[in-house]
Amino acid sequence: MSRPDRREASQLRALNCSLGQLNRADGSTQFSAGNTSVVSGVYGPVEAKVYEEKLDRAVVEVKFRADIGAPTTKDKWVESAVRSTFEREILAHLHPRTLVQIVIQLREGDGSVDSAAINATTLALVDAGIPLKCMITAATCAVLFDDTTVVDPTQEEIDAARSTHTFAFASGSNDRGPLYVDSRGEFTMDEYSHCYDMCTLATERVLAFMRTAIEGKVTKEAKIGAA
Amino acid sequence: MGETGQVTFAMQTFERIHPVEFQRRFLSQSTRHSGREFMQFRTLQIIKGAISTAQGSATVRLGNTTVVCGIKAEVCEPDVKRPTSGYLTTNVELSPMCSARFRPGAPSDEAQVASEHIHRLSTHLIDLTHLCIESGRAAWSLSADIVCLKHDGNVLDAAVIALVAALEDLQLPRAEFDSATGMVSAERTMCSGVEVKKRLFPATFTLVDDVYVVADADDAEEQMATASLLVVINGDGKLVNVWKRGSGVISKETIEQCVQAARVRMVEIAKAIE
Repeated sequence: MSRPDRREASQLRALNCSLGQLNRADGSTQFSAGNTSVVSGVYGPVEAKVYEEKLDRAVVEVKFRADIGAPTTKDKWVESAVRSTFEREILAHLHPRTLVQIVIQLREGDGSVDSAAINATTLALVDAGIPLKCMITAATCAVLFDDTTVVDPTQEEIDAARSTHTFAFASGSNDRGPLYVDSRGEFTMDEYSHCYDMCTLATERVLAFMRTAIEGKVTKEAKIGAA
Repeated sequence: MGETGQVTFAMQTFERIHPVEFQRRFLSQSTRHSGREFMQFRTLQIIKGAISTAQGSATVRLGNTTVVCGIKAEVCEPDVKRPTSGYLTTNVELSPMCSARFRPGAPSDEAQVASEHIHRLSTHLIDLTHLCIESGRAAWSLSADIVCLKHDGNVLDAAVIALVAALEDLQLPRAEFDSATGMVSAERTMCSGVEVKKRLFPATFTLVDDVYVVADADDAEEQMATASLLVVINGDGKLVNVWKRGSGVISKETIEQCVQAARVRMVEIAKAIE
């Protein structure tokens, strides 16, 4: 069966990103996959509030705002997912008693929002120059009712899916295991494994995309520096 | 005082001043401070219908963790987009009563995330169209309040089990819609239950100190956790949710083993609910 937007089952939507668009943030990224678009801004290391500062490391705080409506517990859920994924991949002990604040604004949600938020945050952290252990990339898969598995589903596909699976991996350690997993719906262990493999491949492609984006930015800056 | 330069103290003192080292001593010997094995869950006790003022309720004890779920039913107008559906809202309350870690005031992030996650799971439990009284005019709105009384780790498992048990205990009065007056009359003497589509059986596994995977961690173990994995299986034996959080890495094979262990646990939970 062909997909509504004529993509192959394992094909991601067109990825797009631009780094450093926000001039007041220490680092920022506008990341989009098809119609799903997310802006992530990073402020840090900045002074932490006395009651939340940690003596031996930086505190990581994540704020997620949806595109429309008042904040709900759904936003809190995404915040907790992103925070738990990044908390220990940021080399927080290099900046004790400080705060790294990550603000994610959803611009348009057309499926696979959680993984877009994670991907945007990785790029924003790199743009801010926050030391990281590794690059974190995420991808989403959906198993449809006709048993086909599709990568990077749109909202239309998610609404018609039997289960959806989001995985995040740390670069270079895919074989060690996932950093973040959220599989929901009704599925078997085989379907889960299949989605795991498909998302592993998809995250590798996202990582290659990120690498090009960062290389582009670095060469541009080097040119400006030389001139 | 023992030998020169060596200090000895009672086990309780050691636990207080070096909680992490205390746990490590047990874990490195392939055992746990509670005497359980790594993959052993605590005993589960379920009491249905504990609150007489609620339409459905259940108390769940998982070792020292206690949660109570009460379901209150009210009549309201259905959503315009879904005229034949009622509502099921879930709320998890982690008050200062259950643990010193929680402060009074607005719900903590942990409580909000738990509420949201249980809400997502609750869509598998009942068919909301069964809550319809009159299409487009009146439907039942169920609010399930899950209150934690004692927090000794793994509240999420206890909360899911409590919600399932409370829904099974639920008795709704027979309601009739009078189109002339637009009023709903309920007959309290004629009650009937709401069918629970498929039960949910949760099992949580925790990666402690980046090395040891333990089932059903208690509060002391959760404090050292670097990752946690929730596996939820439904009555058909199909997976409903696999949710791994935290940056400790749990390998693909270990996740598969945990799913197997969750299937074993499923039988235990089913026995306790009956």
